[in-house]
Amino acid sequence: MSGLRLRGVTKSFGSVKVIKGVDLDVADKEFVVFVGPSGCGKSTLLRMIAGLESVTAGELHIGDKLMNDVDPSRRGIAMVFQSYALYPHMTVRENMGFALRFAGVAKPEIQRQVQEAARILELEPLLDRLPRALSGGQRQRVAIGRAIVRHPEVFLFDEPLSNLDAELRVHMRIELARLHKELKTTIIYVTHDQVEAMTLADKIVVLRDGIIEQVGTPLQLYDDPDNLFVAGFIGSPKMNFLKGVIVEGGVRLPGHGDVVVPAREVAAAGTPVTVGLRPEHFAQGGPAMIGVRVELVEHLGGETYAYARHGQSELMTLATNNARDLAAGDTYEARFDPAELLVFGADGKRLR
Amino acid sequence: MAQARLGRSEQINGWLFVMPALVLLGMFMIYPILWSLWMSFQTGRGMNFSFGGIANIVRLTQDPVFQRALTNTFIFLIVQVPIMLVLALLFAAALNDSKLWGRSFFRTAIFLPCVTSLVAYSILFKSMFANDGVINDFLLAVGLIATPIPWLADPFWAKVVVILAITWRWTGYNMIFYLAAMQNIDRSIYEAARIDGVPAWARFWHLTVPMLKPVILFTSVISTIGTLQLFDEVNTITAGGPSDSTLTLSLYIYNLTFKFMPSFGYASTVSYVIVVLVGILSFIQFVVARDRR
Repeated sequence: MSGLRLRGVTKSFGSVKVIKGVDLDVADKEFVVFVGPSGCGKSTLLRMIAGLESVTAGELHIGDKLMNDVDPSRRGIAMVFQSYALYPHMTVRENMGFALRFAGVAKPEIQRQVQEAARILELEPLLDRLPRALSGGQRQRVAIGRAIVRHPEVFLFDEPLSNLDAELRVHMRIELARLHKELKTTIIYVTHDQVEAMTLADKIVVLRDGIIEQVGTPLQLYDDPDNLFVAGFIGSPKMNFLKGVIVEGGVRLPGHGDVVVPAREVAAAGTPVTVGLRPEHFAQGGPAMIGVRVELVEHLGGETYAYARHGQSELMTLATNNARDLAAGDTYEARFDPAELLVFGADGKRLR
Repeated sequence: MAQARLGRSEQINGWLFVMPALVLLGMFMIYPILWSLWMSFQTGRGMNFSFGGIANIVRLTQDPVFQRALTNTFIFLIVQVPIMLVLALLFAAALNDSKLWGRSFFRTAIFLPCVTSLVAYSILFKSMFANDGVINDFLLAVGLIATPIPWLADPFWAKVVVILAITWRWTGYNMIFYLAAMQNIDRSIYEAARIDGVPAWARFWHLTVPMLKPVILFTSVISTIGTLQLFDEVNTITAGGPSDSTLTLSLYIYNLTFKFMPSFGYASTVSYVIVVLVGILSFIQFVVARDRR
């Protein structure tokens, strides 16, 4: 019983408002990822849940208790920091057992808890080392171990993988997913990396400028974004945005040879809109077509991306279903299924 | 062959470049050190001295004034250094709190004594601790004492005044080192400890103090050396009195050299006592603070 409920939560530093009213529900045992560009307030929101920053207004419930003014140590949470925040003069064993000493836990029990955490995280051979004798990934695991021994109801992770190299990051991502299955607790995880968000989350919360842009499962956000920001933020390579005008029976793309793509009439004819098409939508082909000239080709082996434009249009990224013989300067028929098309209004909101 | 010559000319050039510094160092550092070592084996008064072997060391063991000075110096060391360093650490911890109101004012105020004029502050202390000075007036007024404390006339209270004076002067100096070191500690370490329910005293005792260990070692060595050489305050405030109760080794050396009939040899011997003590105490401190892992 340890979901979270945030209602109208705001945070101001002096006159600067960094969290501008957040309503959010997190279910028990859910893996929730806060994602957004730097400065969007995701870390601040996490620190407010942790109790390291006060809540300016609104209500924060953890479980069914109002936690606005409760001391961090009494919120039933544990946090893993980006810098790991290990105690540099203590061994791995002491680092993990330190908090329990002050929770009135008996020494043999502390030993047992530390051993258990070390087993889960495969830290047993390192228990008597100091943090400075550990690699980045090992330090990260110790930091997680220090959280595990406290048996928190909610784990908070603040960009835990951003100090690791790319290979280790992938490895730790898988470890974290495994850990979530094993521990069966609520996890709130902050990252600016949308791949981490997509791969780990049960539910993604996209934040921008202190407000929630959209909440949903990774695939909901990918397939059905509410606005231009979410559409552009989720997915890699980024979604293509083309200028369009609503006409009868579809959208005309004036920058792309006045092609009319059939679409549901989501607005009055003549309304200027932005059309979103993911690079991978071009891989499947389809009845709609834009003729483009290829400017650059990226061979990833499994897929080949073409960067192309029609005349003077914006550069588009196209997945080509691995057209390996494609070269810069080629003309190419970018085919797609009009059903995949997303239409956004001038204010950036999705038109459905 | 050519390479060897080139090597030699580089060598000569190198030595030429460092020579001015070496000559100055030799003249003003190494020569006096060696000369004083030589002097410490000389006996005699004024400029009439002759080699006396270990006569000066024998004299040390029979000199009640030296033993007095040595005892006083150790009392100052044992009482004052721990008090000062603990105070400095507490001040630093308090002033490191970013929420504290007026903390730059307090930082400046506590640091200021060590840059004020020695003479001005000595005169001030002398007048404050006079029989009819502010301190006695205050203590009488609040009723803590019935008769004025003879601060500068009583052997015990004179030591107290000296300890108060050097603590007042040097606490801020040590505090700056602790503050600098504290600001290098990752803030999230404390945040992690707060979330983990580690109480404030334990955060200070089990986190801050161990993480400051290298700086604490540094300040304790520096303060030990400073106290072993204590001269300014005892010379200007108490002049070693009353009846040598605040006489320190350095003041005794000064007296032997410049106040009494000059006894350069013996004064040098006492100086080397300080050198040996500094060496031994620093070594002990390093051993105690050594990382056992």
